[in-house]
Amino acid sequence: MNLVCIGISHHTAPLELRERLWFSNDEIRATLPVLKSAGFDECVLFSTCNRTELYAFSDEDNGRSEFLKRFLLDRKSVQGHVSPSHLFSHFSVAAAEHLFRVAAGIDSMITGDVQILAQIKSGLNLATESGTAGFFMNKLFQGAFHVGKRSRSETHVSEGAISVSYAAVELAQRIFDDLSTKNALVIGAGDTAQLTAKHLKSKGIGHLYITNRTQDRAENLANMLGGIVIPFETYCDNLSTIDIILSSVNSDRYILGRADIEKINKGRNRSALFVIDIGVPRNVDPAAKDLENVFLYDLDSLNGMVNENIGKRAGEIPKINSIIAEELTALDRWHSSLQANPTIIALTEHLERIRKDEIEKNVHRFEEKDRDLLELVTKRIVNKILHTPIVNLKNGHDESPSERTHRINTVRKIFGLDFGQSDKKERSNAG
Amino acid sequence: MLGVILFHLLYLAERTIAFDHPPVTNIFEILTVLAFSVAVAYAFIERRSRAKETGYFILNISFLFQLGSSLFIKDLLEVPEVLRSSLFGLHVSSALLGYSAMTISAVYGFLYLMLYHEIKANKFGVIYQKLPNLETLERMSFIAIAMAFVLLTVAIVMGFIWLPKAFTDFSYGDPKLIGTLLIWGLYGIGIIAKKSGGWKGRKVMILSICGFVFSVFSMTIINMFFSGFHRFQ
Repeated sequence: MNLVCIGISHHTAPLELRERLWFSNDEIRATLPVLKSAGFDECVLFSTCNRTELYAFSDEDNGRSEFLKRFLLDRKSVQGHVSPSHLFSHFSVAAAEHLFRVAAGIDSMITGDVQILAQIKSGLNLATESGTAGFFMNKLFQGAFHVGKRSRSETHVSEGAISVSYAAVELAQRIFDDLSTKNALVIGAGDTAQLTAKHLKSKGIGHLYITNRTQDRAENLANMLGGIVIPFETYCDNLSTIDIILSSVNSDRYILGRADIEKINKGRNRSALFVIDIGVPRNVDPAAKDLENVFLYDLDSLNGMVNENIGKRAGEIPKINSIIAEELTALDRWHSSLQANPTIIALTEHLERIRKDEIEKNVHRFEEKDRDLLELVTKRIVNKILHTPIVNLKNGHDESPSERTHRINTVRKIFGLDFGQSDKKERSNAG
Repeated sequence: MLGVILFHLLYLAERTIAFDHPPVTNIFEILTVLAFSVAVAYAFIERRSRAKETGYFILNISFLFQLGSSLFIKDLLEVPEVLRSSLFGLHVSSALLGYSAMTISAVYGFLYLMLYHEIKANKFGVIYQKLPNLETLERMSFIAIAMAFVLLTVAIVMGFIWLPKAFTDFSYGDPKLIGTLLIWGLYGIGIIAKKSGGWKGRKVMILSICGFVFSVFSMTIINMFFSGFHRFQ
């Protein structure tokens, strides 16, 4: 297949170069028609924070990848900053395989990234709007979406928190049933604390209290997340109503000792208390971990959880490779079927099957002596019906490959010769 | 699951009609009623708690009970006349349903403790991934306990109505009756303590398991070492 893929990603270039080659939706809309007029009948372009990728279907040889690389660099006027060597290229089946890997989330910086599939879909939608996504790109990208969905439903590649902030929230959800009935206190306003508080808020935490030595920072964070500020000097007085404590302040001694936690826990009838200590040095006495119904996690234990999840996700890659291999085989079979000869053979066999079936059903209506004639006449009819379609399928050298394959695809669809469709039917029948 | 429960109910009704006695006259008939009771109790708890992750743990118990029953059950036409009473059927069925709910509560207690220790020990294995959160498990266990208490109350009331009529040698000093009242009382105290005293978390779960273990031991000891009108074999 004459598919070429050009792109830049975290594998080939640092962020400062990737961001120079980032295309907005408007830029994509403006770029695709230019590519089409340059001879690329079908093309899809998408940009995410970690990659920009261009998929193009062309009737010419692989030499056009250099043209496409230069085209992308010129389009963004980044010559001198980004060079063609920062861009990767894949051809034919390798290009399709690359797209499938991206869709599965195993080419992402974070293995199992779930955002990427929506970003690829948005790329295909923009190409459809611009009229550069025809039947070939649609088939290719449907295959990619199928890989993406199967990877998420048939493997555990997207499961388990892979950041400290999310790991903390995931743990909270393993302890508490309904976070909207719980209250959280954030002590400190560092980056990880902010991110964790944000995740808690997005999960619908009841009340979010924020305290910080610098009142302004606490107020900023409270404004951003819809929290309530408590003065740093008095936060200890309000702990009996708190279910989750998130501490992240710079302090050379524990700001919450074992006795403090025990007192808080007694005050709240020993309901589960979740304490996340992400301060370095630690803010909460680790001895509090032994207290009944107190779940204390520090940075090391959360990092351990994250590393374990990253390892588990990586362990799913072989399963995803098998899914990709299956989907590539299906795509390849579909693509091979779009050549003229296999289609002529399939069409001839299809009509011959119909002819034989009808003769078998009706042969008893004819006398023995007429049956040879029946065979001859029906064969002639079928051959005459087939003559013009076969001639037209063989011709068409003046057409572009895209037009030719589109025409062959139409014939296959009209007569129900589509490998993809029959495969699906067989699979659903078997299921 | 509702379909299976309805089929099982149909099977129990058919046995009752065909053999003219409720299917609770021997251990293998009781096993199929227990399988049914566990499934019914679980269905109720699942509906109330809206947590579906624990079905595997509970319904396996039901499956094992039914397997034991299906392999060894016999068609009994001749049973003592006293066991043909419908009040007897209701008394035993509600008691079995109550004990099933008690068993389920203990299973939830056990699952709670496993998850509690996994979270405390930074282990994130199958238990961590497959079970609902700690609060849900605690709630499910409590629903099961409340259900057990209500059903045991029904069984006791039915017993007090039916037993004196059915047995001339009825006695309030019967060990099984005293044992059941003791278990009922203990669970009642537990429910009041949880509701009014605000008992929560790991200790309550341990108490729930202890209550179940006490029930099993006391009933086993009573059945093995004491005799009375309350034994039918």
